[in-house]
Amino acid sequence: MYGYTGKMLRVNLTDRTTAVIDTEAYRQWGGGHGIGSAIFFDLVKDKTISGIDPANVMTIMTSPLTGTLAFGAGARIELQAIGLQAYPLPWFTRSSVGGRFGAMLKFAGWDGVVIEGAADKPVWVDIRDDKVWIRDCAELSLWGTDTMQCQQAIWTYVAGASCYGDWITPLPSSSSRTTQRPAVLAIGPAGERLVRISSIIHDSGNASGQGGFGAVWGSKNLKAISVIGTGDIAVADPKALFEARQWAIENFTFPLDAIDAMKSMWATLPSNLRSFPVPLIFWKKPPQSRPQACFGCQAGCRCRYDDAIGNDSSCKESGFYQFYNLRHVAANAVGNVIASLDAAGKKGTPVLDELYDRMLPTTQRQAADMVQRYGINAGELEKGIPYLRDLNKMGVMGPGKEINTDLPFHKLGQIEFVERLVEIIINREGIGEDIAEGFTRAAGRWGRLEEDLKTGLLNCSYWGLPMHYDPRVSLEWGYGTILSDRDINEHCFNPLYMIPMITSFMGTGQPLPAEAFARLYTDRMVPFQDDPRMVDFSDDNMYSESVARLVAWHRRYTRFWKHSALFCDLQYPDFFNWAAQGYHGITGEGEPKFFNAVTGAEMSFAEGIELGRKIWNLDNAIWSLQGRHRDMVKFPDYIHDTPSPWWGTFYCPAYTNGAWEYVPIGKRSLDREKFEQFKTIYYQLEGWDTTTGWPMRSTLESLGLGYVADELERNGKLGKDVERVS
Amino acid sequence: MSLHSEKNFLSPSTRVTRRDFLKWSGIVVIGVGASGFAAKAHAGSPACQGYLLVDTKKCQGCMTCMLACSLAHEGRQNLSLSRIQVLQNPFEKYPHDIMQIQCRQCIVPACVLSCPTGALHIDHDYGNVRRVEESLCNGCGKCIAACPHTPGRTVWNVAAGIAQKCDLCLNTPHWNETGGPDGKKACVAMCPMEAITFTTQIPEQTEAGYRTNLRGKSWAIMGYPTDESSNAHSVVQ
Repeated sequence: MYGYTGKMLRVNLTDRTTAVIDTEAYRQWGGGHGIGSAIFFDLVKDKTISGIDPANVMTIMTSPLTGTLAFGAGARIELQAIGLQAYPLPWFTRSSVGGRFGAMLKFAGWDGVVIEGAADKPVWVDIRDDKVWIRDCAELSLWGTDTMQCQQAIWTYVAGASCYGDWITPLPSSSSRTTQRPAVLAIGPAGERLVRISSIIHDSGNASGQGGFGAVWGSKNLKAISVIGTGDIAVADPKALFEARQWAIENFTFPLDAIDAMKSMWATLPSNLRSFPVPLIFWKKPPQSRPQACFGCQAGCRCRYDDAIGNDSSCKESGFYQFYNLRHVAANAVGNVIASLDAAGKKGTPVLDELYDRMLPTTQRQAADMVQRYGINAGELEKGIPYLRDLNKMGVMGPGKEINTDLPFHKLGQIEFVERLVEIIINREGIGEDIAEGFTRAAGRWGRLEEDLKTGLLNCSYWGLPMHYDPRVSLEWGYGTILSDRDINEHCFNPLYMIPMITSFMGTGQPLPAEAFARLYTDRMVPFQDDPRMVDFSDDNMYSESVARLVAWHRRYTRFWKHSALFCDLQYPDFFNWAAQGYHGITGEGEPKFFNAVTGAEMSFAEGIELGRKIWNLDNAIWSLQGRHRDMVKFPDYIHDTPSPWWGTFYCPAYTNGAWEYVPIGKRSLDREKFEQFKTIYYQLEGWDTTTGWPMRSTLESLGLGYVADELERNGKLGKDVERVS
Repeated sequence: MSLHSEKNFLSPSTRVTRRDFLKWSGIVVIGVGASGFAAKAHAGSPACQGYLLVDTKKCQGCMTCMLACSLAHEGRQNLSLSRIQVLQNPFEKYPHDIMQIQCRQCIVPACVLSCPTGALHIDHDYGNVRRVEESLCNGCGKCIAACPHTPGRTVWNVAAGIAQKCDLCLNTPHWNETGGPDGKKACVAMCPMEAITFTTQIPEQTEAGYRTNLRGKSWAIMGYPTDESSNAHSVVQ
């Protein structure tokens, strides 16, 4: 079996046993999310259980491409289980982690790990090639450690008498050797204390943040999973894999020495094959640093530093604490000036350099390390801290106030504030007891939820989760999220409005006419490729069948190619690519080229999309069994009643008055009634019951999911079959 | 446990000592005079006509070189079979967080000298590359023990029961390129950071290994350090 190792590890923590699941039994699902959903469906008989129920099953899945040279697909793993974070119901949900855990798991001979049950006391799982131990945490005093301490203790334990920096033999009974440290997934104190916004951390900067999976592990008394492997991943056609990678490099990326400021910016936009190791960080990079990449990636998106503070953290972790201190804002501004001058080849900025050095903010990097080490979801804090600040300014929160707390608001922007906030959360102390439940539930405990979701003071725009991209503007993001289980965090269509916005702002002119730009996307969006208005985000098209097709395609593409084959979100789909001929990115051709070279399959891009539809339907069936109904699929009031603040800042291609043009979008809200009509259109398109949103038998059976329809029917959750609208 | 307390990552005890380095690594040994063993060996050991150079400070830790090496030679992805190794500690300070190591094709090749069957030999037909004739290897492991560097540059193939080492891609049946001293090397070709290069000149050596700096203008534009005068210290290659 090429790409796959052929077996998955099943760990029952309750009775401390392990077993093997044959990958072949689930290979039809492709990998990653597809296999995870299928196993979850089979093993969890009652889908209405809580995330902390021992019967909850977590799957940690690789893809056949994990651990290979497949471009931008060698690193990620997919975690799935019933979560704890979403509101009002914590859905069966997912999260993804990069780094090297997935590759190491496959080198150990496992395509995935399935965790079920709960241990009677804290344990960790020690995987060394095909040998597995479930060990008590007590021996290494792991319970209570932060994620860094935990990983370091495990590294030392696994090395035994060996030492890193040399070859080690993980199994004394074997002569297999490696120079690598074990790859460890670990929870911090937040997960141990069942904090709903807790993460699972790997190495220094890889986090499974969404879903509250840290607490799912905490409820199972599972502190860590460590894996070290010395084995193989078989590749069907090694020469084809080499050639595919070389083809991708030559045709879809800029050479390293071609870098300039513009290319650097374009080639590091989300959903664009990365050419340069320019990090995705929201602090000025200290000069003594290097880029750092996930396994097999051609251009890392994070950094390591000569003080090791903030190593490998990027994106949300790097940015959640950046706007509270003028000194930091000023330092970042100076840093950006220096970087611009550097990029222009202008040297000799000693005054600026000295100024920057004096202002150099380490607070953001320290804050990033705090959330990584204690295992807290930075995305919640990004929107939660402003909420606390606003409540404090309103006189509602503070010492002796209606919501009493000793949080040092006068130190907001300094590390002391974050330290205290983290401390009260993980100790569930004072309002930390409330925040540990997530900011939406905290607002409920404070009697403020309804009001603050009316005004938007609590900026949680879908399923009680912090707003990421605004659903009033980024339709695919907002609709996709409310029709699924979590902030989708899929940047697939960001360039659609980012590129016109940036070029418009710079006055450089658009690279393509609006219609050509739109079709560059939609021509590959099978099976809806004849409808360019899928990417028309203008006011007149917000609730159309075209946008329903966009959402459907997006859900299908990501469910297979991104969540199951595990192509990196930052790089795929690559529709518009500045380095490519005619801006025609790799998507459509690249994904199956790599998949087939590794697996020996002959899967087309369209077949991957169709498999994504099957996985998406299975997920919706699981949510239906959990209790989802169309009536729950609603945005909070402020999304309908308050215009977004983005007027004039977003541009996108639009078809207006019989012609395509670039138009500004932004300052608008969602119409309740029209969104309800949109839901009906969408459910019809998917073959789901328009009254309930539940899948219909005919739809499921057409996908080979008759057994899923049976379970829905047994539970009274099967949609009523009606003739589908084409 | 403190942030950087772990003493066994790149700690002095695991590095090649200056004495070890001078004893085994190359041209310096010729000048200073070495043990009889080494001197004798040198007399019959023509220098290799090609060397891999790695700039550890430019490595991003993606392991692409390791994947390329094992895939080109073995048709499989296997870190343990890669003849070039990248070691890293994500909690360490730059530049001590990553160590990229390659076979140095030593002037006095201890691995060759230790081999009792002639499997590990100097290939005079291909630029004097120090390489393993796998059909002759009896799996005794003496070459692995003999390598003076830490970690050793000779790879142990458990499944085949033989030793393997960098052959400058002479034998890469799973890659459509011609390797060897005059050809392409998979790790060089696939490294996305261009942190590995190849030279036909005997490299300048320091205790940190073969000296090289591949961090050019593009590195500076991205704001990464390019010079050796920083507080970033070289590590053993």
